[in-house]
Amino acid sequence: MELMNEIKIKSKNLNVYYGEKQALFDVNLDLNEKEVTALIGPSGCGKSTFIRCINRMNDVIDICKVSGNIEIDGVEINDKNLDVVSLRERVGMVFQKPNPFPKSIYDNISYGPKIHGKGETKSELDEIVENSLKKAALWEEVKDRLDEPGTGLSGGQQQRLCIARAISVNPEVILMDEPCSALDPIATAKIEELIDELKKTYTIVIVTHSMAQAVRVSQKTGFFHLGKLIEVGKTEKIFKNPDNKMTQDYITGRFG
Amino acid sequence: MTKEERLKKRHSAEKRFRFYGLASIFVALLFVLILVHNIFSKGSSAFMKTAINVEVFFDQELLEIKNDASDDEILEADFFDITIESLIKVYPAKNVEEEDAIIELFTTDAEIEIKRAFLENNNLIGKKINLEITASDDIDQLHKGNYPRDIPEDRRRISDFQLVIYDNLVENQKIVKNFNNYFFKNGDSRDPELAGIGGALIGSFYSIIICLLLAFPVAVLASIYLEEFAPKNKITDFIEININNLAAVPSIVYGLLALQILLATIQLPRSTPLVAGITLALMTLPRIIIPCRASLKAVPPSIREGALAVGASKFQSVFHHVVPLALPGTLSGTIIGLAQALGETAPLILIGMVAFVVDIPSTPIDPSSSLPVQVYLWSESAERGFVEKTSATIMMLLSFLIVMNFLAVYLRQKFEKRWN
Repeated sequence: MELMNEIKIKSKNLNVYYGEKQALFDVNLDLNEKEVTALIGPSGCGKSTFIRCINRMNDVIDICKVSGNIEIDGVEINDKNLDVVSLRERVGMVFQKPNPFPKSIYDNISYGPKIHGKGETKSELDEIVENSLKKAALWEEVKDRLDEPGTGLSGGQQQRLCIARAISVNPEVILMDEPCSALDPIATAKIEELIDELKKTYTIVIVTHSMAQAVRVSQKTGFFHLGKLIEVGKTEKIFKNPDNKMTQDYITGRFG
Repeated sequence: MTKEERLKKRHSAEKRFRFYGLASIFVALLFVLILVHNIFSKGSSAFMKTAINVEVFFDQELLEIKNDASDDEILEADFFDITIESLIKVYPAKNVEEEDAIIELFTTDAEIEIKRAFLENNNLIGKKINLEITASDDIDQLHKGNYPRDIPEDRRRISDFQLVIYDNLVENQKIVKNFNNYFFKNGDSRDPELAGIGGALIGSFYSIIICLLLAFPVAVLASIYLEEFAPKNKITDFIEININNLAAVPSIVYGLLALQILLATIQLPRSTPLVAGITLALMTLPRIIIPCRASLKAVPPSIREGALAVGASKFQSVFHHVVPLALPGTLSGTIIGLAQALGETAPLILIGMVAFVVDIPSTPIDPSSSLPVQVYLWSESAERGFVEKTSATIMMLLSFLIVMNFLAVYLRQKFEKRWN
């Protein structure tokens, strides 16, 4: 049996409220380094809310209140004094719908490094852009048209561009919020291949509605229901022999 | 009802609606056409002026200056005698009354026009030249066909004798139509043939520039703050409602405000483009904030999230991504706001721009008129010459508005970027 990697992210008694409504209830979840953790569960169960706590994207929503702890490498990040900019430099995110900036492919990738002061010179930036695109398996397709708008790419290419954009600032963690839900099966397969490759370097958390995808890409799976983490464990175990009846019902398609 | 009947009814409802729609568009176009035709038919003649060809002999005996006189000397000198002597020669007069009648055919500025010719060439003494002297308003209107000549003499501004001279002049091809440079160059005047929109153009230009300089930065910063940074609470709701209310406040109220605060309290100079610009800026501010906020709102949140997720600060996400995308909408909103301000009359009347200003303003703190106020002023004048000038001023104003609106559309289409 393969050894579990070290714990990278640890949430303790995480509660999230949207105004009056509570979205997460006492979530305790450990995410391992250089592994893919899949979060599954029916719509509105709090999976996305959970990953948005890891890079503090919930700060953008005025009515959202987060209590409890999230630690990355043992350092508390749910702290008012923490600089979210440097947190988000460490924790990248890819969204459900590809959202490239309406700028050139090159500018899409170079924006992050530029604002963080990485890549002082043009050649350094060129290198970052090339490496990021290569890691996102997009380089071969776009190397001759880096100055064309990123919005002109196909959906799957746009999503890989967004992954390249997340990689460009050299994060430790990449959060993916249903990255394939807007893509066709071929583009999805490419992204999944990519995720497999990326997990060698990055800790990845992926929210997905596709059980098959969770099985294919992840080593660990957490099942959420109505804001509660029902069960978490090795992906194989969750899908073959879950402890909880509700997990069993969800993965066999009896509800969801 | 059978299925066929229902279907028929649905189709006829659609047909009826199409007809109503077309009819409304047709009626609207008809009114625009009537308006434009009315303005053009009345106003287009104002761009030409009537002049009478006069032979001027610069007689040394009638002039107190010599050849090669300096400009100052010429400006000081009296050209009255030489003007009268030249003008009355266009037709043989029997007595002083008839001479007066002849002189009335010319503009009161005839002396200045002759002097101007001498200023251009100060070597004319003892020589004869032909000058085209601007005709009086009455002859101008008669020649343009705007003035009826078949009514009884006592109800006419032109006497029978003057008509005889006029016909004689026409016969001898002494009457010419020239481009009316006075209309663009001169300020207001009591004499329609001399009145122009030069002062109003400059006044409007200064006012709009001041309005733009004040309103644009304030409106854009206010919109960005309200839309992107302000917390969403009761206070910002209250501000938002009141911005919408302010945009609907009648413009005359802004005029009253300016009258009380800018003129009475701060004591800024009355009738000046400076005050007009500040007043128009107050009025335009909410009218720019609203489209500006709308275009910020139209930038999809996914762009902001994308920027934040790579570690951009709030400020960077707004100024690197959201504002550039909102810029086309902001610019076109600003231009349309300025176009409204350009046509605004009521507040300017209240701050004294309705004053009779002959001089062309050289700075924004000189008394001045503005295009819409000039329209208002001239539309109240009785002389026929002002009727065509009113319409011509409206034509100028409308063409500025059309140019500005086209610019707004052009900017929006040129710089608008597509996102998914």
